[in-house]
This record gives sequence, structure tokens and C-alpha cells, in this order.
Amino acid sequence: MVLRRLVVGLPAVLGVVLVTFVMVRLSGESPVHLLAGPNASPLEIATVTRALGLDRSLPEQLAIYVGRLLHGDLGVSWLSGQPVLAELRDRLPATLELVALAMLLGGGLGVWIGCRAAFRPGSAFDHLVQAAATVTFSIPIYVVGLLAILIFFVALGVAPAPMGRLSMAVLAPPRVTGSLLVDSVLAGDLAALGSAAAQLVLPVGCFALIVAGPTVKHVRAVVADALASEYVAYARACGLPDAMVRRIALRNAVVPIATFLGLEFAHLFAASSLIELTFAWGGVGQYGLNAILQGDFAAVQGYVLLLAVASLIVFFVVDLFVWLVEPRAKTA
Amino acid sequence: MRLGQWVRAEPGTAFGAMLIGTFALMAAFAPLIAPYDPTQARPDAVLLAPSARHWFGTDPNGMDVFSRLVYGSRYAFGVALPALALMLAVGLPVGLVAGYLGGWTDELLIRATDLLRAFPTIVFALALVAAVGQGLGAMIFVIGLLDAPLFARLVRSEVLALRRGTLVESAVVAGNPTWRILLVHLLPNCAQGVTALAAFRMAWAVRISATLSFVGVGIQAPTPEWGVMIKLGAEHIVTGTWWVVLFPALGLILLVLGFNFVADGLSRLMDPRHRAGVR
Repeated sequence: MVLRRLVVGLPAVLGVVLVTFVMVRLSGESPVHLLAGPNASPLEIATVTRALGLDRSLPEQLAIYVGRLLHGDLGVSWLSGQPVLAELRDRLPATLELVALAMLLGGGLGVWIGCRAAFRPGSAFDHLVQAAATVTFSIPIYVVGLLAILIFFVALGVAPAPMGRLSMAVLAPPRVTGSLLVDSVLAGDLAALGSAAAQLVLPVGCFALIVAGPTVKHVRAVVADALASEYVAYARACGLPDAMVRRIALRNAVVPIATFLGLEFAHLFAASSLIELTFAWGGVGQYGLNAILQGDFAAVQGYVLLLAVASLIVFFVVDLFVWLVEPRAKTA
Repeated sequence: MRLGQWVRAEPGTAFGAMLIGTFALMAAFAPLIAPYDPTQARPDAVLLAPSARHWFGTDPNGMDVFSRLVYGSRYAFGVALPALALMLAVGLPVGLVAGYLGGWTDELLIRATDLLRAFPTIVFALALVAAVGQGLGAMIFVIGLLDAPLFARLVRSEVLALRRGTLVESAVVAGNPTWRILLVHLLPNCAQGVTALAAFRMAWAVRISATLSFVGVGIQAPTPEWGVMIKLGAEHIVTGTWWVVLFPALGLILLVLGFNFVADGLSRLMDPRHRAGVR
């Protein structure tokens, strides 16, 4: 099973590396002019081009890049001059903290509400939930963030300024894991813990709302399908109590729901860039977004590679979970 | 009479259709509706709060937000409709051929859609628009191309289901050439599914085009496009000038919501269980 996932996954990651490699090099925005300055002479431009390795042919550049990649070297950001790997590593905990909390809250809420709606199909609650899901489905994530800032910071004044992960007045706890929540607990720093939690509330809340919408829709459909199946009709005909019938239906809905949540997690990781931009979060998403806008080749490639590897890990975990709960997967 | 029945049976769909219709009218008659020139900067009227003269206030450049909102609907449809045309123009033929003939087209199509589904489209869209070059044309091109495989995949699966049936068999026996079977016998059978998907993807196209402009790779200021307006509002949000960001955000939400409600209604229509009145 592990082997199968690797066999399927590695070419996908390689494909993503190749596509982004070609794509960033096709972009009109060349970093050479940015680095050399507007008044650079042709000689200076040629020097910078050579220093960046852009004077070689595309296949040559690709071979060099992949060779370094195999040694764990993601290259150097041309904007900051720092190794991309270190920059991503510094920013990853901020994004993970955000995405994981949102996934727990939004995914959990979505599954719960979706099940409730499916148990009573056609009821007023069901219609209300479905309409609400379509509404959250229709609001772009950064707009949710901006509206939340308008309401809770500008109008009510109860939320902290939407800038970064800590209030300016609070010192960051010593870095251990990179997660401010965990680090401030480890340092026993209550002020930092409070500030980090307060800064998290709005972005996590908005993010969770965005996750909950599609999750509710999917869970509602899957569970309703399971409840309409013949084995559930049989269970009912046997006179099993409602609670047990539902458990039987849910047991069969678990696999598609887990698969969906896995996909959703991978998409969240990318959508995180927009919420990070809105709240000046400073995670990998904002970093990647900036890199795309500035034509910072190595950083874009590093970011996209990170996304691809993250999706691969999530899909792997989902596979593992399915294998554990689904008896049919073991015999296949 | 029949309209009234429909509205009562499908209130969500009717509401969605009404929203789309309103914005379509707004786009069509923008010069008649908008009280001001949407791109005329007036230094003496910067960041005015909503009032009788400026219903939705003015932005940091002194441009009238209501007029910009009205003209913005032109850009929403102006990107989404051509993008949809491109999705259909590429997706339908590929899906028909892949489903009917199979072989390497089919294989390639499956691989492409799998990759697209597993990988977040927003990153692809951003990087592609940045690569192709910013602006309206690049956005239409990228949005249309990214979504074409979805239509191809849908048509393929419907054709695959029909191919072994008597419909195709009798058409072949009657001596129809392949192109005629594809276009006259198979394509119309996909119409319902394609319509529902088209509504869903219109919602997506409107959303993503605003997102691209919001991030800064799509349409550029001072064009009256909703993403551009939201971006400008976001830059000034902490100063408390809520109207600059709120109104374009509402416009964007309502139009996307309209398409999604209609799409929901169309897919319910296709669900045989619902149509038969069972549950």
C-alpha cells in the first residue's frame, strides 16, 4: 500500500516540479532587470544573468535544479539572498498552526452539521443548512477576512489589529516548535499565549467557515446516499433502533468523507496564502504569493514543491486511515 | 401562473436567477445607471462617506464607489462569459472524442484532470496569469483552460455510459458517420449535465477573476473591477472607511451566490429521486 502510493505520488511531484519550473521561466517578469537595476549596462545584465545561471539552456538549468533538490537544496531566493529551504522552514509553523486549527474547527463542525441535516432530509433545518452552505461557498476567503476585520476590529473594536501573529506590545516566546501557542505554553508566558490566541481567532474563524461550507454539502450528500441504500433498508426492516441504523450508515460514509477532507486540507494549504495576505500573517502562503508576484523563481518552486509534498503526505494519511477502517481495502 | 409555481417550488433558484438578471441588466445599461464617470479621480471628494450625492461613498482617489460597482459588473461578465465559451470550446470536443474513441486522448484527459483535482487551482491560476502576462485576455485564457478538463471529463463519462447502449448502436446501423453520431446523438444527451456544471463554473470564474485582481496579477487599477476595488479598500480598511471595501465585496458575493443557487437548482433537477418526488 505504501509502495503503491509512492509509485503514484513520486511522478506527480516530479510533474509538478517540471511544470512550475517551465512556468516560472516563461513569465515575462525576469529577475535580472530587478536585480541589476534600471540603469544597468548590457555587460552588467550579462553578468547578473550568468550569476543566476540563466544563460544556460532550459534542460541544463532543470538538471542542475533537480540535482540540487536531491541533496535537499532548494536554491536561494533572489529577493532576500537567503536559502529557500530555511525561509520556508521559518514560516511553515505559522501556516500549519492556522490551517490545522481551521481544519479541526471547520471540518468537525461541517461533518457534524452535515450529518444532522442528512438525518432529517427535506426538513426546514436541512434546507437552511444547505442554503447557508451555498452562501459560505460563494464568499471568497479574503472577503470573509475583510468583512470580519470590518465588523470585529473597525466597528466593534473587540479584535486585535489584523497585523501578524502577535501584538506589537508582546515579546515573542523563545522559538522551540515555531508554533506561538505551543512555544508560549512551554515558556510559561501567559501574555504571549493570550496575544497569540487573540490574533488567531479571526483568521481561524474565517478559515473554518470556508471549510465548513463545502464539507457540510459533501457530508450531507454522502450520508443521505448511505441512508437511502439497501443495507440500511434491510437494517430498518430488521427492526434495529434508529441510532444503530445511523451508525451502520455512517460507518459506510466514513471513507468518502475522509477522502474529501484530505483533498480539502490540500486546498486549504494553498488558499492559506490569501488569508495570510489579509491578516499579514507571514507564513509560507504569503511568502509563496509574494514570490509569484515578484518572479522569485527559486522561492516559487520551493513553495509549489512544499504544497505538492504536503498534499502527498495528506493523501497518504487518508489512505492509511481508509485501510484501517475499511475492511474491503485490506482484501483488495 | 407557471412562473409563480416555479418560484414557490424553487425559491433558491428563483432568487439566484433574479440576482444574475439584476447584474446582467446593470452590466448592459451601466452608462445609464452610473451617476458618475467610474474612473474620474476628484481630489476634492476623497473618501466621502455614503450620502445622497454618493450613495456608496467615494474611494481614496475620489471616485464614486456606486458607479464603479455598476461598471464592475461588466468586467465580471466580461471575464466569466468568454472564459466559459473557451471551457466549452475545448472541453466538449475533447470529452466527446475521448469518451467515444478512447485510446491515448482518454488516458491523457484522465491524467490531466486528476492532476488538476489533486493540486490547488489557485496556485496554478496565479502562476499562469503571472507567466502569460497580466490583463483581461490572460485571465480569460487561464480561467478557461484550467476548467476545460472538468467539462471534458463530464462529457466523457456521459458518452462512455451511452456508447454501449442501443442509442449509438442503432445510429451506427442506420449508417450515420461518426461526426454525426457525436454531434447529433451524443452531444444533446450531455446538455443537462453541462448546463449545471457551467453555472457552477461561472460562479468560480467570477470569483477567481476577482481574486486574481485582488492579489495584483489580474486587471490593474484604476479599472472599475470588483477585485481591484476590494484591494484598494483592504489597503485602507484599518482607517475605518468601510464603504470602500464593503460594497464591491457585496457585489461580488451576490453575483457568485446567484450562479451557485442556480447551479444547485439545476443539479437538483437532474437528480431522478428528486424529480420523481421521492425525498
